[in-house]
Amino acid sequence: MCDLFALCASQYYSATRSLPLFAVRGRQNVHGWGIGFFRKKQPVVEKSKEKVYQDGRLHGSFQRLARVVASPIILAHIRYKSSGRVDECHAHPFVLDFWGQSWIFAHNGKAPAIESYRSSNLPALEAASDSARAFEFLRDCFLEAEPRRREVSFFEVLKESLYRLFRLYPGEYNFLLTNGCFLWGFTNHRQLLLLKGSERLEDALLLTTIEEGLSPENWQKLTAREGSLGKIVLAAGGDLLLVADLEP
Amino acid sequence: MCELFAMSAGQHYTAQEYLPLFADKSRANFSGWGIGFFRNGQVFIEKSCEGIYAGDQVHDSFQRLARVIDSRVILSHIRCTKSGHRKESHAQPLSDHFLDHQWLFCYAGESKGCAGYRSPRPILEEDLLAARVFEFVRDGWLQQMADWPRQSFYQGLAVACKDLITRHPGEYVFFLANESVLFAFLNHGQLLSYRPPEPQGEFLVLTTVSGGLTRDPERWRAYPHKDPNRGQLLLISGSDLLYLGHL
Repeated sequence: MCDLFALCASQYYSATRSLPLFAVRGRQNVHGWGIGFFRKKQPVVEKSKEKVYQDGRLHGSFQRLARVVASPIILAHIRYKSSGRVDECHAHPFVLDFWGQSWIFAHNGKAPAIESYRSSNLPALEAASDSARAFEFLRDCFLEAEPRRREVSFFEVLKESLYRLFRLYPGEYNFLLTNGCFLWGFTNHRQLLLLKGSERLEDALLLTTIEEGLSPENWQKLTAREGSLGKIVLAAGGDLLLVADLEP
Repeated sequence: MCELFAMSAGQHYTAQEYLPLFADKSRANFSGWGIGFFRNGQVFIEKSCEGIYAGDQVHDSFQRLARVIDSRVILSHIRCTKSGHRKESHAQPLSDHFLDHQWLFCYAGESKGCAGYRSPRPILEEDLLAARVFEFVRDGWLQQMADWPRQSFYQGLAVACKDLITRHPGEYVFFLANESVLFAFLNHGQLLSYRPPEPQGEFLVLTTVSGGLTRDPERWRAYPHKDPNRGQLLLISGSDLLYLGHL
């Protein structure tokens, strides 16, 4: 199963400690890795089809990027393929535009039903995987809602999109979505773990799907409440802004 | 009635097109003004006890500041005469540091009950309703976060706002912002929001000025409020309204 990571801070920040730990603890995911962030509102993604950890060592580029990348929001993904080929284009994160902004998206889970989804909007992502189709589906829902953007909150559109997604393409979806300004997280299987103000890692807000967290600290476990369709999380400026259950 | 203005964006913008319009439409309030913004996580506030209009001109400093200030979040307040003495220290926005952030706050409304609130950590010793409201909301929010440290900012602030209108019934509209996030609360009157056509940039403007600030009021989205026992709390970051909750 793939794993997700995000760092969210109020200023430019590097994940020099937590990103390598994420890679080490997620090393069973052997089908590629990726790191995404924003530079002056432009998305930047570095990804690879290679193993993030091999022969007792972290991938050299991953290590270097972890030291160098600095941004208020950093996303990372380590892949264990459940859908699609093992190549760079299938590694996450992915980038698409909607609502006049670029968005970086990374997914973890299994949703074979959505592999058949065909977007009527361009561009389409090159990857042939459930994650790529799920991102296109969300993008399309937001594009459809764009005329109502003045009337409705982002949360409302996200909620509507997720209801449609589960009705049409049920599956396991954990994802992170950011425009570099704020970060949405969603989980309907496994969990998201959250830590703010770490004394051992970065003094920022950290999110990961790694079950034990990235340090022996008091990580907050966010899971879908029993009977709900999932949990939505919103962070910005290094703070947890909103947690909401997606009620059936 | 005092008037409020806020601009939120994903990157630094000036409000040079909208702040002068805000001043123009608030010219009846001649008891002081203030502009607050963020630079490198620090708060900067420029304010004056002079009228926003001198003769038929917007205050010179206000005009110049409007052109020069660029920030992801800009708040402004134009003060009405009913708000007490004409002193610079009474002009808003106010600021304080808590929850690991510098915060800017500006308020419009009336509340007899909250004027008597005594905070263990006053922002301002002088009699100023806006300071008492800020202190009450801050203290309530901090208490919430101390009692339930794992709850979200929105949840903690919503409880503090509900407590405010329950314990001190009154009329409240306020903006509370750090360098990344803007909260707007109202339980009376209305707020209006405006997103300009895309070529002009990605930002969101909010104001209490009736009809909005541009010549096309139909492009402004109104958040009216009629029941002072309830309230609406908006969460904005960048150019997006992320969440709107009714208390």
